[in-house]
Amino acid sequence: MLCEECRKQNAAVFLKLAVNNKVKELHLCPACAAKKGMSFGLESGAFNISDIVGNMSGYFKDFLPPERKTLRCGACGLKYSEFKESGRLGCPDCYAGFEPQLTELMARIHGSAQHTGRAYADAPELKLSKAETARRLTELRAGLKEAVAREDFEGAARLRDELKRLEGRHG
Amino acid sequence: MAEMIKSFRPYVTWANARGAWPDMIFSTRVRFARNLQGFPFPNRAEPRQLAEIRRQAMTAARDSGLFSRGHFLKLEALTPLDKRFLVERHHVSHALAATVLPAGAAVSNDEDLSVMVNEEDHLRLQCLHSGFAIEGAFKAALKLDEALGRALPFAYGQRFGFLTACPTNTGTGMRVSCLAHLPALSRLGQMPQVLESLSHLGVTARGIYGEGTMVLGDFYQISNATCLGRSEEEFCQNIDRVIRNLIRQEIAARETLLKGPLKLRTEDAVYRALGLLKHARTLSYEEFMQNVSLVRMGTAMGWNMGHDFSTFNQVTLLMQPAHIQAAAGRELAPAERDAFRAEFLRKKLA
Repeated sequence: MLCEECRKQNAAVFLKLAVNNKVKELHLCPACAAKKGMSFGLESGAFNISDIVGNMSGYFKDFLPPERKTLRCGACGLKYSEFKESGRLGCPDCYAGFEPQLTELMARIHGSAQHTGRAYADAPELKLSKAETARRLTELRAGLKEAVAREDFEGAARLRDELKRLEGRHG
Repeated sequence: MAEMIKSFRPYVTWANARGAWPDMIFSTRVRFARNLQGFPFPNRAEPRQLAEIRRQAMTAARDSGLFSRGHFLKLEALTPLDKRFLVERHHVSHALAATVLPAGAAVSNDEDLSVMVNEEDHLRLQCLHSGFAIEGAFKAALKLDEALGRALPFAYGQRFGFLTACPTNTGTGMRVSCLAHLPALSRLGQMPQVLESLSHLGVTARGIYGEGTMVLGDFYQISNATCLGRSEEEFCQNIDRVIRNLIRQEIAARETLLKGPLKLRTEDAVYRALGLLKHARTLSYEEFMQNVSLVRMGTAMGWNMGHDFSTFNQVTLLMQPAHIQAAAGRELAPAERDAFRAEFLRKKLA
């Protein structure tokens, strides 16, 4: 049997993976198996499936509604288009920034867009060192300026609240 | 030899085969994905922020009292062998082991509880129990979650619940999984249909070390596919139902393997596997897993394999590459490892 990757060498490595609830079998020659980026070696069972079945990003792309190019998270600056590409959000505030789009995505992924599990009411205050607070204040002020310049007033309002909270706490 | 590995116990309780159906369910795990409000997710955080998150997470874990005499590890300070050992113990994922940024892990003394810091999310809390033990693992994981949630401000919203870097984990942030050993279904070639039917029941099957890892020795990790829109208890109940059904299917498959002319073939395969484990002079981990899978099944069928599930579970843990090197007391090349593994196993099964 020939290697499924290069189709030149004889396959010597047989892999069995569970991908999307299907057992997938792969027959590779040792060179191609090594190339597949098995950082821990075959033995430990580690294997990078994104090389084989493509990563999750395509999956999100299909499900996420299109949106104007300038949409971005007011807090961390992640662009909506970047999220569509990577499938990873930038910070907890992205959920507020992209709420309408995420509502649609959640319904697709989970069959629901409303959390009904445990509530988490009294979160303790975040304890930050002085240096971290100072850095954060500088960042927030810069972000606020930028948001205003972009005419992203919703984002600016959120940043202003956060800024007030942080200033109020540390004087 | 790495000091870290020496500080761990030689055996772990979650592999002692004490829970329900130890012949089919190796272990049960419940994990929660949590993030701290006010910080970007790890993929967009700067190293100094990651270090700050780790400091806060480790302090909260220490203060919770659940990790007394436990392990508090900075991943970047560990050797590749240490990290591989932690992966083999299921305390750390491959992704976390591979990172070069500030990341950490807290592991309780009995190794039931662990916290991964700065993997895909700021915190991944988990509880691991032996056998089929969803309720117990869930309660213990929840206790850990509540203790850390009192000390750290978790990112949470009314609408989407606990907020995570990947939208597939948002909501409860909970993943309940059972490591199922399904040799008879595999032998009868029924796994493709079984996995197909699972996808209609809201669960996914993965390889032995989780997402994107290989299927070894007929072990499958079965876990909930979604985590938003139902309560934690409802998700647990669903997995519970699915696993019970899977167990019934595996029992039926084992009965089939003992019927008519199949019985002799099954018995022959099982005893050959036992012979191989007891007499091989060189043994790769994959080959070990293939054969121990049959021997575990033989034990379940009531044949005398010389040892109980607890022993087979522990050797399954001990035969992994980093564990083999830990037992040898030095790093070994793969060929040396296979020879050492065969000898080590012969002693264990003598």
